[in-house]
Amino acid sequence: MSASRPSRRGVLTGAAVVGAAGVGVGVSALAGRDTATTATAAAGAASTVAFHGARQAGIVTPAQDSLVFAALDVTSRNPADLADVLQRWSEATATMATGVPVGGPGGLGGAPGEPPQDTGEAHELPAANLTVTLGYGPSLFDERFGLAERRPANLEELPALPGEQLDPTKCGGDLCLQACADDPQVAFHAIRNLVRIGRGVVTVRWMQLGFGRTSTTSSTQATPRNLMGFKDGTANLRAEDTADLDRFVWVGGEGSPAVDQEWMRGGTYLVARRIRMLIESWDRASLHEQERVIGRAKVSGAPLSGTKEFDALDLAKTSATGKAAIDVAAHVRLAAPETNGGMRMLRRGYSYTDGLDLATGQLDAGLFFIVFGNDPASQFVAVQRKLGAKDALTEYLKHTGSAIFACPPGISAGGSWGEGLFT
Amino acid sequence: MTTKPRLFLALAASPLLLLTACGGGSEAASGGASGAPGTVKITLTDDGCTAEPTSVTAGARTFEVVNEGASSVTEGELVNSGGRIVGERENLTPGLKGTFSLTLDAGDYTVQCPNAATESSKFTVTGAAASASGTADPLFAAATQGYQDYVEAQVADLVTATSAFTAAVQAGDVEKAKSLYGPARVPYERIEPVAESFGDLDPLIDARIADVEDPSTWGGFHRIEQALWVDGTTAGMTPVAQELDANVAKLAELVQTTTYQPADLANGASGLLDEVAKSKVTGEEEAYSHLDLLDFAANVDGARKAFDLLTPALQVTDPDLVTTLTTQFDTVTGALAPYQQGDTYALYTTLTPDQVRELATAVDALAEPLSTVSGKVVGAADQ
Repeated sequence: MSASRPSRRGVLTGAAVVGAAGVGVGVSALAGRDTATTATAAAGAASTVAFHGARQAGIVTPAQDSLVFAALDVTSRNPADLADVLQRWSEATATMATGVPVGGPGGLGGAPGEPPQDTGEAHELPAANLTVTLGYGPSLFDERFGLAERRPANLEELPALPGEQLDPTKCGGDLCLQACADDPQVAFHAIRNLVRIGRGVVTVRWMQLGFGRTSTTSSTQATPRNLMGFKDGTANLRAEDTADLDRFVWVGGEGSPAVDQEWMRGGTYLVARRIRMLIESWDRASLHEQERVIGRAKVSGAPLSGTKEFDALDLAKTSATGKAAIDVAAHVRLAAPETNGGMRMLRRGYSYTDGLDLATGQLDAGLFFIVFGNDPASQFVAVQRKLGAKDALTEYLKHTGSAIFACPPGISAGGSWGEGLFT
Repeated sequence: MTTKPRLFLALAASPLLLLTACGGGSEAASGGASGAPGTVKITLTDDGCTAEPTSVTAGARTFEVVNEGASSVTEGELVNSGGRIVGERENLTPGLKGTFSLTLDAGDYTVQCPNAATESSKFTVTGAAASASGTADPLFAAATQGYQDYVEAQVADLVTATSAFTAAVQAGDVEKAKSLYGPARVPYERIEPVAESFGDLDPLIDARIADVEDPSTWGGFHRIEQALWVDGTTAGMTPVAQELDANVAKLAELVQTTTYQPADLANGASGLLDEVAKSKVTGEEEAYSHLDLLDFAANVDGARKAFDLLTPALQVTDPDLVTTLTTQFDTVTGALAPYQQGDTYALYTTLTPDQVRELATAVDALAEPLSTVSGKVVGAADQ
């Protein structure tokens, strides 16, 4: 790995590299008459991620800096209403992803007697690599919309897992929208407008803002640090690992489990966990304890069995006294593919804070963990069962929110997110 | 934003409407016009929009709006000489087409396509002079007259109910005053936006303590509400009661000579829903008596009345919106129904957080499409 890594902000040439995985740089092809808009679109062209493609954007897209994640429930009982919202969401997202307002260049204005179509706060901001990723929760496949027969077997509510203390107001959802962008205002604008479009058919069940990516999903990116102060995602799957993505992330990819629902081919499953870090306790832990718990050096990110960040884990290495270099309960050991039958998954989490825990006065902050994979039961669930029971890090964590969603494949221009499921 | 669930419904035929071929759905455009007799084809491109033919004789016409690859234009409108949209199709992405039908009177119209290089082109209807059958104008006139009658009737009720209430207050009968407070609130809440249009009158009648600069000058309904429910006495309330009567009488006098524009009805309905969302569904309005749901229901009644009056005219220009709003109004009414107890409603304090959220969600779902109505009616641009 090259020692000189690009800074976190502003280097997006990597997006072009991963075109093969369904993500590329799209250039706004808008024939806008509004010169300001046209100029904005042109300036933002270098920071757009194509919405259309074989895969949904926002999965192997180089992780942007900000997240706004919304879980929604469908309140209408009419499947046509939902299909219509998905169609309009697709149109609006395709537009916003190019840095253009909802409703086109005129969406900011329009009739003086009517509310503007677009809420306006992203005007003159670049597209900031906005991606919006849609997922369907298991609850969508109940009797309400006649979709029971179409539920993929892998889309099951997550079982109770050790180390969790779930808040029911931060769990589940019929749908999710994951908006990521390099500007939090752009990500919020996307969710706000989509929620508005869906009003009367869907309601927001819970929402999470994330600042600061905690994963690297492309080799063009430096490894960021999570709120524990450690580099996070050093051994993550990357957009360039196409064979492993097929095997572990994409439904129906080469070497992946059999596909039971054809509409999911090319999609993936998203597991979201709101993991609160007990910051105060962590900050009182000695450097030695922190490094033992994680299994890496805090400053360099190197595994305790090596000297540089990208040195492979040597789980067998022992010290002169016979102690394992990487503790038997260290997080990296228990989460490593080597101790999980070679299983990998694509992490794409964000740091979060929601201010204070009013009961204790402690900071409510941590990791909004998002992971993509094609077999959640043998991936996230299996690993978390082990971590929750054995991981030394569990002492400093509390899983407070949880949800799982099936993300359908990407769509082509003019298509609708719902086309595979509703047709 | 215009919310248009693409429901394939046979629309109720109104005398003004030909049955539309397509209830708001859009279909892939095939090449060429459909060529049905009497059909006018409006083609949308990034350069502009044109009607083919550009002139027709008065009578029933169907318009077919086709987006032929325009990326910045998704909407075609027919606008009359008064500047009002008499028919439109929206959300037509490249390759889609949609239709609308109406009976046209003679006159100069324009075909409009927002965001195109040239946003309008001329369209002429020749033949008989305008009759009352073709445009929505008489329908709007009927709506505004109907609203004027409604406001006057509600204010008459308000005068009667308020004087019964203030009489009990001045008689020192706390329990009786409490029982008469709610019935006096209802007619006021139904027409609140009208009262608000008279500057200081609404604060004098309906201010909460948080709304006034100097609490020592606080009067109106809520001042007495606090005395009855918090202090349990009418002591010192006689002047406040008399002033309330006087202000309500002033309102009654003002509405006798007030006329309304269609946009006033639309904006008033929207305003009532915003009132519900801001202070009723939060339990802030009736902080002492907790009769918030009674106000809530009255606000919804007033909004529904305005919408019902506008419906015949909206049915001409945007039948899909009528369908959507009818559904959402019914949802709100249905959500409130379990809390109705005879002439009143359950106290706000008996609601669980989940019940409050369900009500709030229903209100938001209605308020969003309702906010688009004023743009559909005449005079909106002049507000």
